[in-house]
Amino acid sequence: MIKLQRIFKEYETEDEKLVVLNDINLEIKKGEFTAILGPSGSGKSTIMHLIGLLDQPTKGKILINNQDVSKLDDNAVSKLRNKFVGFIFQQFNLIPKLTVAENIALPAIYGHGDLIENVQDRTMDLLKRFNMLEKKNVLPNKLSGGQQQRVAIARALIMKPELILADEPTGNLDTKTGNTILEVLETLNKKDKLTVILVTHEADVARRTKKQIKIIDGQIIT
Amino acid sequence: MQYLIFLIKSSLDDFRRNKVRTFLTSLGILIGVSSVVLLIAFGLGLKAYIKGQFESLGTNLILVVPGKILQGGSFRAGPGGGSLGGAQFDEKDINSLKKAKHLRHVAPAFIKTVTISFLSKSEIGDLFASSDDIVPVWNLEIDSGRLIRKSDVSKRSKVTMLGPQIAEKLFEDKDLAVGKNIKIESQTFKVIGVVKSKGGSSGGQNFDSFVYIPYKSAYTYNPDKKFFAIYTKSLTENDINEAKAEISSILTKRYDEGDFSVLEQKEVLNAINSIFGMINTILVMIGAISLVVGGIGIMNIMYVTVVERTHEIGIRRAIGATKKDILYQFLSESIILSLIGGISALIVSFLLILIIQRFFPAYIDLYSVIIALVVSSVIGIIFGVFPARKAANLSPIEAIRYE
Repeated sequence: MIKLQRIFKEYETEDEKLVVLNDINLEIKKGEFTAILGPSGSGKSTIMHLIGLLDQPTKGKILINNQDVSKLDDNAVSKLRNKFVGFIFQQFNLIPKLTVAENIALPAIYGHGDLIENVQDRTMDLLKRFNMLEKKNVLPNKLSGGQQQRVAIARALIMKPELILADEPTGNLDTKTGNTILEVLETLNKKDKLTVILVTHEADVARRTKKQIKIIDGQIIT
Repeated sequence: MQYLIFLIKSSLDDFRRNKVRTFLTSLGILIGVSSVVLLIAFGLGLKAYIKGQFESLGTNLILVVPGKILQGGSFRAGPGGGSLGGAQFDEKDINSLKKAKHLRHVAPAFIKTVTISFLSKSEIGDLFASSDDIVPVWNLEIDSGRLIRKSDVSKRSKVTMLGPQIAEKLFEDKDLAVGKNIKIESQTFKVIGVVKSKGGSSGGQNFDSFVYIPYKSAYTYNPDKKFFAIYTKSLTENDINEAKAEISSILTKRYDEGDFSVLEQKEVLNAINSIFGMINTILVMIGAISLVVGGIGIMNIMYVTVVERTHEIGIRRAIGATKKDILYQFLSESIILSLIGGISALIVSFLLILIIQRFFPAYIDLYSVIIALVVSSVIGIIFGVFPARKAANLSPIEAIRYE
């Protein structure tokens, strides 16, 4: 489903060239539950940003469902982010001024009618599924970390994406809550048949997945 | 449609959370739009007022003045312009114009600012020396006493007819004026009547403060025996052109064609309107400067907002917002912000005009309302587009990392 071919990512500062990703090749198949594991600064988040179409490589090809995404314009890339990917972040990244329900439904607005289902119905289903129905009109700052992450997962699911990208989803949570979130991700992979990529620096967390890709200094260690 | 509602709702939500900032930013637009709307209202009021004044004089009024005043429908500017120079009318011209077939009335006019006193009270007023013909020419009506008659002119009677304003100033109650003797400079005149208010002015002078006296009795104030203008009326409205031609042909026997102007109401009105129009346009443009300042205020705040919400922009981009979505979001905020200013300005102007109308005939028309709304939207677009583009062009990854 996703192929990264000979990917380089470099940043140029005034006096040095920083190579963040150095010749990365990887393939993620449909339905896989994969962890990208590496210490901070290893380049794992950059890989996630490239797969999530938030960033572009300096060199190399990214294929999503055999389509070279480097050739797409902003509109097409935004549409792919909207429909194909659901993001889950360490910082939850909910929009503070929107209620729980509004946060969950927001991607549908940017989908400009791409979601065929009734947005409200789907939002309600997700609220029920993640036990957030009572909190639907609450602003995110009134929620616990675990609750916020559940809202973020619901938001990631609203457009029925094929891929879930979770960037240190347990990083800001205690072990117990983190565990619940990981269970949710497992369910998404097993029951919902979604492809899940989990980016983490914790080996324990990575072990919950079926496949691990280790990154150190911008290179994959096998 | 749903998207439009979303844009408006999210803008309003933001304003609700930043009430003071929203208020101050739209205040700039409010002041700008109000000043433009008020100046337009003044202009419109003035125009209607002048038109009313001219119409109250009758549409068949013809004015003869020295010099070539009008050129191509507007007052002549530059050297040689204005009423200086040219013909100096005297009694002979009045008599020859009186013989004209197409003219009904011919009234000379001499104006001088004088001191008028009654007992110990003295006032500054405008001496207006003319004949009895001025009564029909200006449609003067008597309030108390009687009007000036032909015999007053021929007998050089020391009589005067007062405008209501000057009568009130001198006598407190204008009804007490008739029969009293007043002094115009050093000479004594008897008040024979007080005319009804015409409520207005002609070329700067206020009709209601005029002190009318027979022109033959005014030669002490006018030793050259010259008149600054001659007011006439054609027989009917329809022969106004013939009347004008006749006046010209009579006067060219004595003067060069370029030494006098024969103007009908319409021409004078148009010329005055064009001058006021120009003054008004300049004033509105000055008012528009404050609009630009208000617009810059919006731009400034929108730039601040973009920086403050960089992280939020990153999140929105990550979940699928296109550059256009972000552009529209910020643009709609700046447009709504300036529309809030524009609509408040209309309300404020409307209330102010209600007060102003007590002493000045200013009014708002549909045109001003449309201008206010269009201008404030345009300001919102112009000054919002740069910050909005900045927001739209943020790299999603840098935006989402921004704390």
